[in-house]
Amino acid sequence: MSMLKLAFQNFKSSFKSYLSLIISLSFTTMILCNFMNLVDSGILNQLGESNARNVAVIIQVLSFVIGCFMLFFVWYSTNVFLTKRKREIGIYVFMGLTNQRIGKLYAIETIFIGLTSLILGIGFGALTSQLFMMILMRISEITVEIHFQFSLQSGITTALIFSGIYLLFVIKGYINIVRSSVLDMVSANRQNEYVKQRKILLVFKAIAGVIILVLGYYMAIKEAGIEVMGNVFIAVVLVVAGTYLLFGGLIPLIFQSLAAHKRFLYKRERNLWINNVVFRIRKNYRTYAMVCVLMLCSVTALAFGFAMKNRYDGIVHFENTYTFQVISDASGYRQEFASLIEKNNDIDVSSDIEILTIDSGNTDNPYAMPYALLAYSQVKKVAEDTGMDFDLPEPGDEEFISLNRLYLMSLTNDLVEEIDTINRQDYRSIASTDTPYLGYMQENMDYMIVNDRVYDELQIYGQKMHLYNYKITDASHFETSVKDIQSSEHCLGLVKIDPEREEIAWIKILYSVSIFMFMVFVFAGGCILFMKLYNDAFEEKERYAILLKLGISKKSLKRSIADELLFAYVTPLVVMSISSYFSVKALGNVMHTSLLSVNIVSVLVIVIFFVICYLLSLVIYRKNVGI
Amino acid sequence: MKKVLEIKNLVKNYGTRGFQSRVLKGIDLTIYQHDFIAVMGPSGSGKTTLLNLLSTIDKPTQGSVFLDGTDITRCSNTQLSQIRKDKIGFIFQDYNLLDTMTLQDNIALPLSLNGVSSKECIQKTKKLAEMFGLREHLSKYPYQLSGGQKQRGATCRALISDPEIIFADEPTGALDSKSSRDLLECLKMVNDNGQATIVMVTHDAFSASYAKDVYILSDGMIKCKLTKGSDRKEFYDRIIDMQASMGSDFS
Repeated sequence: MSMLKLAFQNFKSSFKSYLSLIISLSFTTMILCNFMNLVDSGILNQLGESNARNVAVIIQVLSFVIGCFMLFFVWYSTNVFLTKRKREIGIYVFMGLTNQRIGKLYAIETIFIGLTSLILGIGFGALTSQLFMMILMRISEITVEIHFQFSLQSGITTALIFSGIYLLFVIKGYINIVRSSVLDMVSANRQNEYVKQRKILLVFKAIAGVIILVLGYYMAIKEAGIEVMGNVFIAVVLVVAGTYLLFGGLIPLIFQSLAAHKRFLYKRERNLWINNVVFRIRKNYRTYAMVCVLMLCSVTALAFGFAMKNRYDGIVHFENTYTFQVISDASGYRQEFASLIEKNNDIDVSSDIEILTIDSGNTDNPYAMPYALLAYSQVKKVAEDTGMDFDLPEPGDEEFISLNRLYLMSLTNDLVEEIDTINRQDYRSIASTDTPYLGYMQENMDYMIVNDRVYDELQIYGQKMHLYNYKITDASHFETSVKDIQSSEHCLGLVKIDPEREEIAWIKILYSVSIFMFMVFVFAGGCILFMKLYNDAFEEKERYAILLKLGISKKSLKRSIADELLFAYVTPLVVMSISSYFSVKALGNVMHTSLLSVNIVSVLVIVIFFVICYLLSLVIYRKNVGI
Repeated sequence: MKKVLEIKNLVKNYGTRGFQSRVLKGIDLTIYQHDFIAVMGPSGSGKTTLLNLLSTIDKPTQGSVFLDGTDITRCSNTQLSQIRKDKIGFIFQDYNLLDTMTLQDNIALPLSLNGVSSKECIQKTKKLAEMFGLREHLSKYPYQLSGGQKQRGATCRALISDPEIIFADEPTGALDSKSSRDLLECLKMVNDNGQATIVMVTHDAFSASYAKDVYILSDGMIKCKLTKGSDRKEFYDRIIDMQASMGSDFS
């Protein structure tokens, strides 16, 4: 029989046990394919050029992330597969096959799996591409015309990426087999030596893990001006390393100590499952750590999306504070403009304010930007007229309050005290606010609110202009009043806000993509744990057969299995929940918003999904071990 | 003397209807408390089948098995599992210790799962380990133990829940002669102390000579019963003679 035929027969006969591997591989391929297609299909062009460009960049970054994820996933799954297959096809050693030929057999078989996954992945990718886009746009609340369109190029790119990664690990497996000794082959699954790990090493790992993790948390939420990005990067590295050490050190340490404490151990089913955990953790801790990190990524991704969405809504609301903002050279025309607008529209609220711009010649501003000053009493009046909150303290003679716009994201996570100098006099910032007193006009400039006396004193150094703000009842009819306002000779400039415009619609896509990434990561994490337990169950089969022979009741065994699997799901979940608090908090600091509720909800979603996975694992595990 | 196990007209067929082969052809046997019985016989004589039926792992085609007064051929699976747990101890040829836990945990396992207090578990484990010379090996894992130590450990595990009867399936099958002797001495000791009733299946005359009675099974029936006198060596010679007279392959 030729190698190819033998490999194909092997593949066919054990197709069922490869199913979980094939499904997960093709799922990853499908996701990658969908993302690739999104960029290539040209649908995004309907969003306008700048939006399309931004979205394309985001999706390319995400494709890269998914590519990396795929790399790890393939690495992991082929590794699990290799240990399993090694023993099975290792038997051919006794038939006189050389390692090279067995390696070849393995490689061909694995390539069959890869090929099947690839074809399924791209096939489903093509089929679901439209659905994927529809869901994405729906969550984003963006209306574009979607028609079935699958670009060949995205399929080819996906296939190339997947094949590249996959082949790498097939070759790795081949080399592994070629280099194995006969003993390795026959007993690949039976390396039971060193059940216990050396305590001193575990203690060291545990302490290092905890310290590194705490340090990582600290770095994440530390207030640090412009270095925050560097800190975040360090924090990511520390948290990942700490998580691995925690699962490799602290958790085995705890369980070994529990197993050594016989008074505790000989109660209920603990003797069984705690010993099993100790036995398994040496091999499994990387899996737990990986799932933990993956979940952490997913929660952070979701929080990021929500934060962006919040900001987006905030900015839209901010910009839509007024429909019209008329710039004029003098005060007292509020009623005149109002009557012009009221020809065709009803006015909801209106306000007016004087702005004093100080020439950069009189300031120490290095960017040659003029300073814009507002008088405290006038801002208060605007707030009264429009019904906005106003709880600012009156600044002293050398103080000011800064009036800012809403930032989408800032690169610092603390508020540095500002000192501005006008005409060689220092003014210290005592507070800041981003209430949209000036609406859209606040977007492009920061304002200083000073007390009325200082405002009067400084008038000689700058120029005054007047701003009249109106919000009309039906903002979508704004067009009808534009001509009327412009007809006035006092109107020097007009800002009109179209509530329908979508200048920053790409943020909404970012939001929906982040939800999507969250789901993908959570799904992947659940799948990895599920697959791990699925494989473990096969190895446990003999042990449970012995236990049944000894007359141990199925009820006890079921309880023991339930406890053991619970451990596998709960531990990564707990560690992840703690870490996510810090990562989301760090994100919140950068975005200047609180994301605790998003954090809690996303953790809850993961908990629900894990409960489902857990129950499913329980059923399958019991079935696999024959209980 | 109290009857522990009573077998009446035990018949077991294998195969599907029309192609059945009768492995056990009507066996009657009574085992009393503190008995130490060896069942011998050539390959295919039905030794293992008999043991499986007695130890509730398999069900007979005909006949009944009374264990401590209950007919185990008419019990539900849950009841059987309860009986296995409470009344039967097993010793297997390949030890069947769990490689995930230490010897101490292995020995304590049946008791700890029965809800006995952990203090009692620890005490009993230590006492048995002392008797079987395993005291210093308690914290070792099975892979760190020799075959003889493993089998003695398995025997401790079988004894820990004070079963009515212990079934040993070729317990010395995988052991060298020194380890075999150690194990058999241990079994004899617990039997002499009145701690256990033992049924042992073996094809080895030396092992069988440690028992009080030897039943020789051939072709699904009990051919004869030998009873030990005062001397084990003399008993061993009688068993060998019987094997020779039967002439069939005994290994």
